[in-house]
Amino acid sequence: MDNKVSNLKYNISEALELPKDLVLDLPKIVMIGNIQINISNHKGIIEYTKEVLRVNSTIGIIKISGTNMELKTILSEEIIVKGNIEKVEIIS
Amino acid sequence: MGTIKAWNFLRGYVIIRIEGLTLERFLNLAASNDIYLWDINRVDYTTLEMKVSIKGFRQLKEVVKKVGCRVELIEKKGFPFFIYELKQRKMLGLGFIVFFALIFYLSSLIWHIEVIGNETVATDEILETLEKENIKKGIIKYRVDKDYLENLLLKKYDIFSYLSVNIEGTKLTIEVKERDIPPELIDKDTPCNIVANKKGVIEKVIARNGRVAVKKGDVVQKGQVLITGIISDEYSDIQMYVHAEGEVLARTSYSYKVEEPIVKTVKVETGEVYKRYQLQIGEKGIQFIQGDIPFKDYVENVREIKIFNLDLKLPIKILVHEYKEVQSKKIEQDVEFIKKSNHIKAVEELNKQLPPSAKIESKDVNHYIKDNMVVTYVVIEVIEDIGEKQLLN
Repeated sequence: MDNKVSNLKYNISEALELPKDLVLDLPKIVMIGNIQINISNHKGIIEYTKEVLRVNSTIGIIKISGTNMELKTILSEEIIVKGNIEKVEIIS
Repeated sequence: MGTIKAWNFLRGYVIIRIEGLTLERFLNLAASNDIYLWDINRVDYTTLEMKVSIKGFRQLKEVVKKVGCRVELIEKKGFPFFIYELKQRKMLGLGFIVFFALIFYLSSLIWHIEVIGNETVATDEILETLEKENIKKGIIKYRVDKDYLENLLLKKYDIFSYLSVNIEGTKLTIEVKERDIPPELIDKDTPCNIVANKKGVIEKVIARNGRVAVKKGDVVQKGQVLITGIISDEYSDIQMYVHAEGEVLARTSYSYKVEEPIVKTVKVETGEVYKRYQLQIGEKGIQFIQGDIPFKDYVENVREIKIFNLDLKLPIKILVHEYKEVQSKKIEQDVEFIKKSNHIKAVEELNKQLPPSAKIESKDVNHYIKDNMVVTYVVIEVIEDIGEKQLLN
């Protein structure tokens, strides 16, 4: 059932060229080189240290590893991380 | 980026430190309560440092209660806190205002009046006229009516053909152009004589009106009547007075003597300078002396050190006495060279004396040597108009 709905949503967004992060309620991860990463549509922070940042989302946990990481901004829909980013993992 | 920073500064923000165990929960709660946090930094396992706006800081209290962590305020930054601080230190704020007001006030005064281009009318005279109109040093520059001033000065002094008043900063500049003065004309109907204005030998007299009183070859003295305006008839006693007019060309001579020693002593500066400072307060002065002047022959030169580049007379002055060491040297010059240079010097000097309409007839140069001196004597003979009108009394 759930799978069918999401399939339909995917097809519609594909047909109408709508942004999928909005239609499918997915997180949007934008990286600028290895110095900044923007995660929109997140579901809260699980862990934050200078080396590891884990963010909850609809597709699972997004784990970002690096050094000297700093949260530049936290808003209810967007997180901006600055620092030296080394790895981005999605653990579902 | 810069605009956001500036906006944050304007709104004011605080840097806070949060200690607790469930810091991620704190961050999530803050985000869901729409509290804007930025520049979040993990200091150590239990501590976070972040920036938050003043409004956000108040809202954080609820979140802190829920999470159960400790908040410590580290620094207040931004414009509102600056204003608050100023309110606490009223005199500082007052000082600021007084400072700016003073600068504004002082820069709106006229500190210096300059007159450029006047030759016959003395600067002091113009300044005096201005003073009568209440324009002097220390008045507010916005009160100076430039057009009025221009008209006033142009009306008062006929000799000015152009005048402009300018205010640049704290300086009032009056620029004038003087017209060439036309020679004083004697009315054509008034009877007059033509007299000689210098000694000379008459070459030619052309009388357009009046009777010629001299002839060619006459030696005339200064003031002698050349063309008379009094015409009398041989047969009657009636005298007619006319306005004499005409040209009297006469041979006149100009001479100039130049002397130059053959062996002369010249004082040459060696470049060694010894300075002494003097502090002058009013009429009295203190000289700071460090030992004697180490030179035998020297030239003294007193100079004032101007602290501010202002034309103000301050009661305190710093004077510098500069002693420049000199050495006397005897130089023997070439006689021929001196003759030449003397000649040139004399001719230059004579050229200044000659009226522009004069025609040079002859030039006589004489050199002779007397007591170590080369004396050059130059005589120039010219033909010029020596006539000058003089009223009959």
